[in-house]
Amino acid sequence: MISAFQADGPGPTPGRRIYNNKKMSEENNSSEEKMGAHEQKVHHHEKIKMNLFKNFNYDKWYKIMFIIPLVLVIISLFSIALTFSHTGSFFLKDVSLSGGTSITLHGDFDYVKLESELKNQYEDISFKGLSDISSGKQIAFIIESSAQPDPLKKSIEDILNTKLDSDNSSIEFSGPALSDNFYKQLMFALIISFILMSIVIFVMFRTFIPSIAVIFAAFADIIMPLAVINYFGIKISTAGIAAFLMLIGYSVDTDILLTTRALRKRGGTLNSRIFGAFKTGTFMTLTALFAVLPAFFIVTGLPDSFRQIFFILALGLSADIINTWLTNASIIKWYCEKKGIK
Amino acid sequence: MKLSWRIWFLVFVLAFSAMSILNLPAIYTVLVGLLTISILATLSFVKDKFTRNILLFFTAVAIIAIIFFTAQQGVLITSLDSNSFVFSEGLRKGMILTSINGNQIKTSEDYSSQISSLFPTEEKIKLTVQTDKGEFIFLTNETPQLSVSAISKTNLKTGLDLSGGARAMIRPANMTPSQSEMADLIAVTSNRLNTFGISDVNVRAVSDLTGNNFMLVEVAGITTDDLKELVGQQGKFEAKIGKEIVFIGGERDVASVCRTDATCSGIRECLPSSSGGYVCRFTFSIYLSELAAEKHANITSNLSVNSTDENGKSFGGERFLSEKLDLFLDDKLVDSLLISEGLKGSATTQIAISGSGSGATKEEAYNSAQTSMKKLQTILITGSLPYKLEILKLDSASPVLGKEFTKNIIYLGFIVFLIVSILIFLKYRKIKITLAVILTMFSEALITLGIAALIKWNLDAPSIAGIIAGMGTGVNDQIVIIDESVSEESENLKEKIKRAFFIIVGAFFTIIAAMLPLFWAGAGLLRGFALTTILGVSVGILVTRPAFGDMIKKIQE
Repeated sequence: MISAFQADGPGPTPGRRIYNNKKMSEENNSSEEKMGAHEQKVHHHEKIKMNLFKNFNYDKWYKIMFIIPLVLVIISLFSIALTFSHTGSFFLKDVSLSGGTSITLHGDFDYVKLESELKNQYEDISFKGLSDISSGKQIAFIIESSAQPDPLKKSIEDILNTKLDSDNSSIEFSGPALSDNFYKQLMFALIISFILMSIVIFVMFRTFIPSIAVIFAAFADIIMPLAVINYFGIKISTAGIAAFLMLIGYSVDTDILLTTRALRKRGGTLNSRIFGAFKTGTFMTLTALFAVLPAFFIVTGLPDSFRQIFFILALGLSADIINTWLTNASIIKWYCEKKGIK
Repeated sequence: MKLSWRIWFLVFVLAFSAMSILNLPAIYTVLVGLLTISILATLSFVKDKFTRNILLFFTAVAIIAIIFFTAQQGVLITSLDSNSFVFSEGLRKGMILTSINGNQIKTSEDYSSQISSLFPTEEKIKLTVQTDKGEFIFLTNETPQLSVSAISKTNLKTGLDLSGGARAMIRPANMTPSQSEMADLIAVTSNRLNTFGISDVNVRAVSDLTGNNFMLVEVAGITTDDLKELVGQQGKFEAKIGKEIVFIGGERDVASVCRTDATCSGIRECLPSSSGGYVCRFTFSIYLSELAAEKHANITSNLSVNSTDENGKSFGGERFLSEKLDLFLDDKLVDSLLISEGLKGSATTQIAISGSGSGATKEEAYNSAQTSMKKLQTILITGSLPYKLEILKLDSASPVLGKEFTKNIIYLGFIVFLIVSILIFLKYRKIKITLAVILTMFSEALITLGIAALIKWNLDAPSIAGIIAGMGTGVNDQIVIIDESVSEESENLKEKIKRAFFIIVGAFFTIIAAMLPLFWAGAGLLRGFALTTILGVSVGILVTRPAFGDMIKKIQE
């Protein structure tokens, strides 16, 4: 994708045709003399790309493109509603939000035996291994249960025949009342965060439909990852909810870029402005995505809170590509057409 | 090359951040700052290319040399008993110990090997301790009661999840404490932890969105069991004869407690127990206040004297009072002491308290007895907490695992840095632009860390995730600036960059708006994540982004 943008050299490329476009060349003539060699080259690339874009009839497809994210949002909402009807909350909560104990073991133990024996003793127990991908070595083994820490610790000590101390284990316990309180507060924070973000967007654009388009895209950026997380049965911790808050702030920057460029009314046609924003925006999102992905493919031995934050950001950024360039772009295109913004 | 004030500003802030992060002796810190600024001056004012490069090279070498060679030597005194002889001679927590009897101490292992080669000893020996605050000479046969740790090369502090330790969230049970009641609780708790001999404690009140108040206790190098017993229990100590209270823990009744003097405090015997394993008994003396002593006299004067116990068994010639002195801790009987005949009606002030600890091995039993003794002593000195407590959250983190995590996070940060740099280069194919992006990204991370070091923020894993995410938004903004500046419009460059800033400022405010609620929700346990993210984007918008805009202007012109 990146190399396609870098097509080099002049010649009878399709770009020529746009160069001859009357309106465009008029606009360019005034600035042409001032441009250095580099800018001319960049300038030329724009033409090629715009033509690629032209071959794909955006004017015809944009309304249909809006249907894809819309369907995804509806499916996501449906699946979240399903989770809600089963569990009474919008997602599966880990012990930091539902109350219970999480014990992280560190060292060479017989985890297979531990897992099978603990399963017999505790009904509500889950296990998670954490290994370092480069060395393949297991760094930690996480046991979660709604049980109290002391009996759980005792059971593990009995099975492994080792005393758990600060060299080989970390223990986290959250009382049910406090966890429930945390859950409610963080959900409240999530709503407040969303409202504050919406206010900022309204103040920035001061027009209803473009603002709503950005806010809807942000909403979809939260809903889609949540549905994916529910689908895989991943439990969300307090840090996970914090990541969703960050997603609210993080995901709208490409939407702001798109809306600002689309509404600017100058510098090429509406389609070329949207495409220009698309180029910049996808590169932004892909860079951010490439920044969070190493946590799953290169260095994986990270604290659970850290991994969860990065995982949710990765899902959110992926959803953001869909929601900015299909959802938001379609709405803003439709709005501009209607308002006669060319 | 003329540099704009924005770039100057960035370098000043960078220099200050570096100074705030590095734990160098003050004079070298200033020197590093000055040298960093001189790099900029060289860039800005020295016209001749050759001279400039020579100057830059030597300044850079000087900075690196200072950082590597002037790091503080020695070990840091992290705690010392305020009853001990080393304290009374003037040694204090926070001093840097550099040598013992002329032998250099570089690590805590050096310290322990030195001390174990000198102690225990029967005869008094001369101990010359060199610290950053001067030399101390002791003549002693007692092992110095202090603990040391390596000096960190930086002022950065990691959170409990990375450095290891325990954390508890506590509140009074069955009541809604007021602000002042919380303050009382925190004062007694801090006092108790300090008396117990834990130095690295952080006790504070936290409240959440709904107005609940909690006490948050964070302690490095302690297990949850110890923390639970020390701060989770009220620690109500009562000594009763029959139903009458003779004295309770705390300074009103207990004038002093013998702790470090081996003649009146220590483990007296270790014996194999009937159930296998060992039991060790400890004894220590306490001195009652006159008030409590008189009470003792009044109560005992009414008691009869027996020569046999309640089962009619003879005391073997000795005679004791009809009631025992029962010691209760949190309403549980811990010990019963027989009161000898001679104490009847007398205003006795010295009482020996004893107890035991058990374990599978002799060493375990000894340690258990030692810990129990220390806890009991602590409770007798500090008194009980004003309320019955409820532990809402109790976490411990393994320092071993934390070390591994920290290492991996640093490694990850490096890889992210590398990947983003490569992507930027692949996209723009310009070394200057790539370098400007890398420099900006690096600056943002460094300045955020600098502020964290300055305000002594404990960086936990979510905080570091916040720093990396902040760097991510930073790169996004830089991409906007670059793309706007090369866009094919007729406006001048200044206008284009101005427009880029509209987008950037918008994105900045949405991040702030989104993260702000985290400062209060969930009792602020995720405040670090919000803080570093907000710091990162604020540094971006106020310091690095304007400078980056100028750099791009320079490169594009």
